[in-house]
Amino acid sequence: MKHSISIFWRLKDNHYKIYVTKCGDCGRVAPLKRLKCPYCGSRNVEHIESRGFGELINYTVSYYRTEGSEQYLPRVVGLVKLDEGPVIIGEITDVDLNELSIGTRVEAVLRKYSSEDPNGLIYYGLKFIPVIKK
Amino acid sequence: MKTYVVGSGVTKVDRHYDKNYLVLIDEAVGKTLANSGLDASDIEYLVVSTAFSESILNQADPSTYIAQNLGFRNVKALTVSSGEVSGAVALDYAHALIRSGKASRVLVVGFEKMSEYPSWVINRVYAKILEYEVEGIKNVAPSDYAALIMNDYMRRYGVSRESIIKWSIKMHENAVKTPHAQLQFTISADSLSKALRISEPLTMLDSHPTSDGAAALLLVNESVAKKAGTTPIELVDVESSVNLPIYLRDDLTYFSATAAAYKRLSSRNGVKLTTNTAVNVYDTYDIYGLLTIEALEICARGEAVKCVDEMPYLNVGGGLKARGHPVGATPLYQVHELRELMSGTSWIKYDGDISLAHAMSGPDNNAWLILLRGWV
Repeated sequence: MKHSISIFWRLKDNHYKIYVTKCGDCGRVAPLKRLKCPYCGSRNVEHIESRGFGELINYTVSYYRTEGSEQYLPRVVGLVKLDEGPVIIGEITDVDLNELSIGTRVEAVLRKYSSEDPNGLIYYGLKFIPVIKK
Repeated sequence: MKTYVVGSGVTKVDRHYDKNYLVLIDEAVGKTLANSGLDASDIEYLVVSTAFSESILNQADPSTYIAQNLGFRNVKALTVSSGEVSGAVALDYAHALIRSGKASRVLVVGFEKMSEYPSWVINRVYAKILEYEVEGIKNVAPSDYAALIMNDYMRRYGVSRESIIKWSIKMHENAVKTPHAQLQFTISADSLSKALRISEPLTMLDSHPTSDGAAALLLVNESVAKKAGTTPIELVDVESSVNLPIYLRDDLTYFSATAAAYKRLSSRNGVKLTTNTAVNVYDTYDIYGLLTIEALEICARGEAVKCVDEMPYLNVGGGLKARGHPVGATPLYQVHELRELMSGTSWIKYDGDISLAHAMSGPDNNAWLILLRGWV
């Protein structure tokens, strides 16, 4: 699938990094850099960069095939509750399905989202892997 | 000014490899006009609904070409595209035209051609119902969300995976009795373990098929309705609401947009749905059907599986699950099925005064309700 280079460039803070938006009025925290608080609509928001760590709270093993996705199937898609509070949707990668469970600690890493074709552009973004114990 | 449905027609939902969208629409419109007693020259507005004609057919504003090819002269033509609720939005627009007095005869046509490409191409198109810059770019699929919601529902209410499939079993039983339904065969819970996985624990048995189809409804004002050749059904009211994206919701198992729209609709019109009310709801995935009848306050939360057997007029056409989901046309199929039910031409007899169609894009991202009442 082809993506616009300018769209990807514009979205760099939401796909090469993880930001959260903290509302100065209602106090709630939402994932991504946002113009306004999605809960109360306030513009009084602060953008905070997440450390990229969190806990897997729900996931599915997905076989949904789309053009260009064949080599990545099955994929694990899950909801990660970031340490900063909000929940983010993302792919969990480099993981043994038998060892994955709800509650697994995960961290964000840069991985390939998709590519146009063998000679085309490669699109990168953040996915999650189980936290590497040091 | 009140709005009435005086004609409706649909094609069989199927993979129509041999027919283009114009042929399908011509069939649906022909049936609609034939049973309304009006003809094409009577139509003032042609409101066309499609979700994916630009993506799949490379066709912007198909209403122009439908009018040009199907003999509508001097008609005002426009296209409505609003994801999976396109058909409901088109009906709301037509309803507003009639109510305001701006038009007295509006033909609403919905269609979709989902079988023009292999499934892995169409899957990408269908995923456009989610937010591209957040979800689409990461290849998150609509079925992934249905799976996450099903996981939460089973955990929260102790509902078994096997019991959820009761919804799909009932939909297939209804589809067998519905001539225009796509999947006219029964299924059993035994097939679940062998069914193709989509997004675990979701399988093909839980999901809508890939569908082509066209449907048309003729909406008119009261004076035209009184002269119609058939018993009109009143389109009483339309209501809708928007939810937060899944990852911002505190509770995945509550369709709050559907619930909010229902509360407003119910209060404004003094109606309350029960297990004996005819409802035609979006069951893109069976778990969505269950959550919808809970949000519509027909069943208590966590109890929908038990309700399914107590609802004789639930998705009598087989739902999206088995009638099929020709996306831009689906809400029109729903209203057509309710019209047949309320006018006594369905496979089941219905004595209720009202019925409700429910449509939504994605998992309750944008929910719409259409309230119908029999002729009084």
